[in-house]
Amino acid sequence: MANKIMAWIDERFPLTNIVKHEITDYPTPRNLSYWWNFGFLAGFVLVIQLISGIFLAMHYKADTSLAFDSVEHIMREVNYGWLIRYMHSTGASAFFAVIFIHMARTLYYGSYRAPRELMWWTGQILLIMLMATAFFGYLLPWGQMSYWGAQVITSLFGTVPFLGDEIVVWLRGDFAVGDATLTRFFALHYLFPFLIFGMVAIHLVALHMVKSSNPSGIDLQAKDNIPLHPYFTAKDFYGLGVFLIVFSLILFFRPNLFIEPDNYIPANPMQTPAHIVPEWYFLPFYAILRAIPDLVGGVIAMALSILLFAVMPYLDRSKIPGGARYRPFYRIMFIVFAIDVVILGYVGAKPPTGFLITLGQICTFFYFALFMLLPFVSKREEKWLRAKGLPAEVEALIASDERQREIQRKEALRK
Amino acid sequence: MKQLLSLFIIYLFLASSSSFAASDNGHPLADIKLDRSQAALQRGANAVINSCMLCHQLKYIKYRNLLDIGFDQATVDAMRKDNPMSSLLPTGLDKKLVEDMFGIVPPDLALMAKARKGGPAYIYTLLTSYHEQADGRIENLLFPGIAMPDPTAHSVTEDAAAKKEIEAKILDIASFLEWTADPHAQERKTMGIYVIIYLVILTIMLYIVKKRVWARLD
Repeated sequence: MANKIMAWIDERFPLTNIVKHEITDYPTPRNLSYWWNFGFLAGFVLVIQLISGIFLAMHYKADTSLAFDSVEHIMREVNYGWLIRYMHSTGASAFFAVIFIHMARTLYYGSYRAPRELMWWTGQILLIMLMATAFFGYLLPWGQMSYWGAQVITSLFGTVPFLGDEIVVWLRGDFAVGDATLTRFFALHYLFPFLIFGMVAIHLVALHMVKSSNPSGIDLQAKDNIPLHPYFTAKDFYGLGVFLIVFSLILFFRPNLFIEPDNYIPANPMQTPAHIVPEWYFLPFYAILRAIPDLVGGVIAMALSILLFAVMPYLDRSKIPGGARYRPFYRIMFIVFAIDVVILGYVGAKPPTGFLITLGQICTFFYFALFMLLPFVSKREEKWLRAKGLPAEVEALIASDERQREIQRKEALRK
Repeated sequence: MKQLLSLFIIYLFLASSSSFAASDNGHPLADIKLDRSQAALQRGANAVINSCMLCHQLKYIKYRNLLDIGFDQATVDAMRKDNPMSSLLPTGLDKKLVEDMFGIVPPDLALMAKARKGGPAYIYTLLTSYHEQADGRIENLLFPGIAMPDPTAHSVTEDAAAKKEIEAKILDIASFLEWTADPHAQERKTMGIYVIIYLVILTIMLYIVKKRVWARLD
């Protein structure tokens, strides 16, 4: 019976083929470490957010006079509303945590290199869409931080030359953040996850074209690839279990860890909070915004701090495989960058006073300096490494990579 | 990559630590141990209803919610008189009058334990931080310039035993307001324990599955 149904479907839709090609026969490098779990986890969190979000939308009211109370209604009166809402708020943080680790892995192992530039760029677009979604969503509870955060961020568009003020009014739908802003942010917050879903599909099509990168930094021989299912499904699900334990610990025992106390005060346009802080995942970028004394410069720096990642495939001119493991200078830069981002996050969370202003400026300088230095450092590093003599395992990787390319060239010719 | 993960954990710690440390003006918060028993919550409820709610509101708490902290139906019926079970607890708040007296409308208390850094510890510290100054004025060290006069007379109580009693009452108020801010917290923590146990067992099994599947390779 089942076979008959499958045959019936396969005459009309290539289901068996798709399952074979994308899952049971899909070749995956067998040496992937657990750092390669985070793409799957990001997809899983997206689904959590979509489902919990749809249920929240059934009870939420996008109206400035009702929004705050409707969230409390969800927390108190709706059956397991508190669970759904905390799932969604914790899920937002989990999403960024997973995505940042996913990006850090890409940077550490040089996974953005050819031929995976489009993976990296679609990933960049996904990050920006995710940030926009989080920003829209943060306004919805209509707390003090929601309101003032939206007020500050939308006002940044006022720095656009000539049209600035008009753009700000156009974005808010009013002269200040208000009811018009709330309803449109709600509409966009509901729309964007589906756009993200579509973008994820493109990200995955690109992935299945070029296949996964792996810690060696080269494309493995056919014999070193194993099917996605059952090997990596088993590995991904084990990773998912570990992730869910961490996620649930926060969700059930510290659900307000990432929620500013001020956001439990209803939005009050007449009273600015003592200091306005964004959510933790925006803090490093917020620190960069504040580090530049000139607002226009700050906005440009903040935009660049996110967009600059896109040129990584061109900034990194080294061809040494194996990620940062065999590249001492790149590894140092990676670690300095990671520390720098953490310090920026700390600076972004604190009121800008005295030494913290200087610290934020120094870290902003390092943030950009590392990008700017990379073309020179990576080129010289490669020269130096080759002159010094590469370790045997790197030589082996390069030789293997050349053999692989030779095989691929021949195959392409035969076709 | 390992260093990166530890960095990330440090980052989360730093980002969240601010919510545990001192208050915004640097005044340290009292280190309190809340009594979350139903008896304590009920004592706190009575204190809040009979004192705090003369001026403050408790926006989201209805009579029927009181059943959740162990009040029996008869007690709630006596409290609500002719009001329906789903009506909010009454407040003596006359916004105009209070605003004329103190210059501001007293804030709603329902979410107070979530809306201040430190939560219940903040509430406890605030109510025990009134001190008589050299000029005879009574000032709050946690919230200088606060409009609310010392509601429990904690600052002017000399007798040690009476002071202890007031502090116990304030602790009950802090417990009750923690409950009003997050009435499902207890249910959440209980459910959390079961969820974690379930997930740990599931993850161990998933690990074994992974091991066995990968054992086929060599």
